[in-house]
Amino acid sequence: MDLAHPERRERLDQLAAEYALGTLRGRARDRFARAMRSDPVVAEAARDWERRLAALAAAVPGITPAPRVWTGIVTRLGLHGAAEEAGLSWWQRLGFWRGFALASFAAALALSVLQLSGPGALPGETLVVVLAGPDARPAMIATAARNERVLTMKPVIDADPGPGRAYELWALPDGAAPQSLGVIPRGGVARIPLRSASGEALARIPQLAVSLEPAGGSPTGAPTGPVLFTGRVERFY
Amino acid sequence: MPAADPAERSARLAASLARVALADQRAFAALYGQTSAHLYAVALRIVRDPAAAEDILQEAYVSIWHNAGRYDAAKSQPITWLTAIVRNRCLDHLRRRDLDTVTLTPIDDDAPAYDIPDEGPAPPDLLLQGADASAVRACVEALEAGPRQAIALAFFQGLSHAELASHMRQPLGTIKSWVRRALERLKRCLDGAGLVR
Repeated sequence: MDLAHPERRERLDQLAAEYALGTLRGRARDRFARAMRSDPVVAEAARDWERRLAALAAAVPGITPAPRVWTGIVTRLGLHGAAEEAGLSWWQRLGFWRGFALASFAAALALSVLQLSGPGALPGETLVVVLAGPDARPAMIATAARNERVLTMKPVIDADPGPGRAYELWALPDGAAPQSLGVIPRGGVARIPLRSASGEALARIPQLAVSLEPAGGSPTGAPTGPVLFTGRVERFY
Repeated sequence: MPAADPAERSARLAASLARVALADQRAFAALYGQTSAHLYAVALRIVRDPAAAEDILQEAYVSIWHNAGRYDAAKSQPITWLTAIVRNRCLDHLRRRDLDTVTLTPIDDDAPAYDIPDEGPAPPDLLLQGADASAVRACVEALEAGPRQAIALAFFQGLSHAELASHMRQPLGTIKSWVRRALERLKRCLDGAGLVR
């Protein structure tokens, strides 16, 4: 391509500008991208424009992507070392769970419905967690009597983890790594045994989460798959 | 992202990229933490589909992991380099989508090609916000309203000439000359202000 010749300089600059702006499309864009790779003058013209427009791009307010984006990247690259650990401590530091603020609103709603469903729906001193996805749709409801060593999980939507996969339940302590409460057995209402009475076992746990893991649960002791549902622990005592 | 001194932030990102080129996974996680919210917002504005934006972000970081060695700190700022990777993938995505739907969608010259979301700052305002911190503001304000909006919609929402024409209800030729003239004026003004080294 003779775009780099001085007499073509003006045309090159126009193309570079439209390339960086994004209005250069289709085959013209492909041709320009090829020329950038083979011709440093073309590449420099494009970089100059990217630089000019970058000052503007800085204004876009940031939006934290869902945790599954990072786990997806790590999985695609097959990085099972520091990136996973670093990624984990990093999302905790940043309060990644804030993305689920809407979900806790849905949870509060679902909870009030649960309470309205009549006397006996919440017997005695009870702990309730409505787990919902980022779309704020409740997916599972966990309940436990304060003095019992078992958590009852009730699916609200039909959410099968798929073949070779399992849902794993996690306790999310403030400022510490998630603790596994175990794999959620498939199909219908499930009972998850706790180490001690729920009032004690979940005393300092503000939230629970469900992640998608290989069958049998996370091999690392930390969530490795996407976190699908989270919910706030509500105590009625 | 903390509002650190831009030069310091750039230096930190460049250092992370250099370590990512050596397959340092921790540096990669740190880079993701420092840049993913910005890059996701950029992608979401252009493709306007959270699932597609997430896919693009994943592809982009996979590519960053493999190509970090090709980043040249002498030639561009790290965030400029990263943003270009994401923007190019977004534009490829829009193009693939257009190819997929072109035979299915009847052409309607009167309707905007896309619904422009109402929430958040409008693109022309973003253009001015982006300009806020520097002399760029004067350059952006010097543009006439139509060309300024065309540039903003193309840049922040990935609209093509044809989509701009449809959205702004202007002839295609008018749009093309608005964009071209606005870019020329921006260049003269920005370079005059010493913003491009």
